[in-house]
Amino acid sequence: MADGVLSPGVNLEAFSQAIAAIQALRSSVTRVFDCLKDGMRNKETLEGREKGFVAAFQESLHSVSRDLGELERLSNLVGKPSENHPLHNSGLLSLDPVQDKTPLYSQLLQAYKWSNKLQYHAGLASGLLNQQSLKRSANQMGVSAKRRPKAQPTTLVLPPQAGLVATPELPILPHDSLREGSEKRIKDLFLLLRYVDDVINRIDRMFPEMSIQLSRPNGTSAMLLVTLGKVLKVIVVMRSLFIDRTIVKGYNENVYTDDGKLDIWSKSNYQVFQKVTDHATTALLHYQLPQMPDVVVRSFMTWLRSYIKLFQAPCQRCGKFLQDGLPPTWRDFRTLEAFHDTCRQ
Amino acid sequence: MLSKKLELLGAEKHGAFGVDCETYHTAAAISSQGQTGKLMYVMHNSEYPLSCFALFENGPCLIADANFDTLMVKLKGFFQNAKANKIESRGTRYQYCDFLVKVGTVTMGPSARGISVEVEYCPCVIANDCWNLLMEFMQSFMGSHTPSIPSVFGTKHDSIYSPADTMVQYMELFNKIRKQQQVPVAGIR
Repeated sequence: MADGVLSPGVNLEAFSQAIAAIQALRSSVTRVFDCLKDGMRNKETLEGREKGFVAAFQESLHSVSRDLGELERLSNLVGKPSENHPLHNSGLLSLDPVQDKTPLYSQLLQAYKWSNKLQYHAGLASGLLNQQSLKRSANQMGVSAKRRPKAQPTTLVLPPQAGLVATPELPILPHDSLREGSEKRIKDLFLLLRYVDDVINRIDRMFPEMSIQLSRPNGTSAMLLVTLGKVLKVIVVMRSLFIDRTIVKGYNENVYTDDGKLDIWSKSNYQVFQKVTDHATTALLHYQLPQMPDVVVRSFMTWLRSYIKLFQAPCQRCGKFLQDGLPPTWRDFRTLEAFHDTCRQ
Repeated sequence: MLSKKLELLGAEKHGAFGVDCETYHTAAAISSQGQTGKLMYVMHNSEYPLSCFALFENGPCLIADANFDTLMVKLKGFFQNAKANKIESRGTRYQYCDFLVKVGTVTMGPSARGISVEVEYCPCVIANDCWNLLMEFMQSFMGSHTPSIPSVFGTKHDSIYSPADTMVQYMELFNKIRKQQQVPVAGIR
């Protein structure tokens, strides 16, 4: 069996010789240690004893080096069987006679194919994503946020440094600042939190049919529960003033997990709201204005508010309510008119 | 025929349902106090298996636990069961996107009296909001038989729809069926 798999590059003859050489080497090495252990044998004179010992020791060392040389020569003849195999040493697994019991080899092959494919697809995806750079990245924000307090005078007077704090590294700030012992940064952090609260409060007051509950279950980043009339509820996950994630659910659906926290992962049971969730995520990416994040939040909320007539407004294009069992779930970003997903331009 | 049309539309069968209604007369002891004898209906809906609905005509609706029935047996002196008037509707549930459609045969005693169609749009909690949408959906499979807006909607304005509202509509439907022998169709929610 080994014959077939180990390919012609392997010299079986040399193999058996090499094994014999290893045995010889081992026995000669044993002899060296035996000789050392026995020490000087009884001879009449001290000189004779030393001579005899040294001679025996020399001889056995010689035989060791000879056997080692022989082994090295043979090992060159044997070659390296593993290199011929595409999977290197793991290819030897296929030689395992108990393959039926442990399907390790076939699993290994599959895993290998998988990881190859994954790498390929990941490469493609990263290429595509690089083409369309979304201007939400942290670094750009940090730079532009510096200018924000000047560009957008607010009722709350922010020190110019507050803009610096508005970078997404925020959540880890308390640690850093403690280590550095800088109280100023903590102060800035609280100012920023108050600023976020303030912006959200103003939006809340702006739309009477919309109620916004702000909570901070995980430290600094805020989570909003927006209830729109008696139509839907939206969970908005913020990162300072940038919206990270939204989930839309029905008015009668549960938005809390069993332990009373906002459930930001599970999606709605209804197809309508799953669709609206998709559109809301699109809207997040659409409303971009890195210099003025509060304007972004406000326009997103304005857009969201147009869903108050989710079940009442017919499609502006086909004039119907239903299409494939769904009401018009799309709202135009500028005109806020209702369209079916397939009716929009 | 209705079920065939629904299936053509893409609706999937999703189990069975049943609604039943028993009628109780108020006994002489109460009606002698100057009131006319009122009818009380005790209804069950397989959609809410743990509940029991007790309704007066045009009156309040009481939602109780399922063992309300045993209580009614004890109240024999005040409410008498009109056995012959038991009416029920049984049939198949269909699901199409977020719509829940229940097509049932209404039977009173041994004889079939008509067909009931219940249409529910689950995501919406305010009936008036989605009435137009429901109309359009019902037209798609019922054609000219689409009903006009149920009377419950008029009084509800924009409060939240509850299971009791469904039961009131079933009660009205059953009453209508008792009086006339035609095939009425009810659109619910």
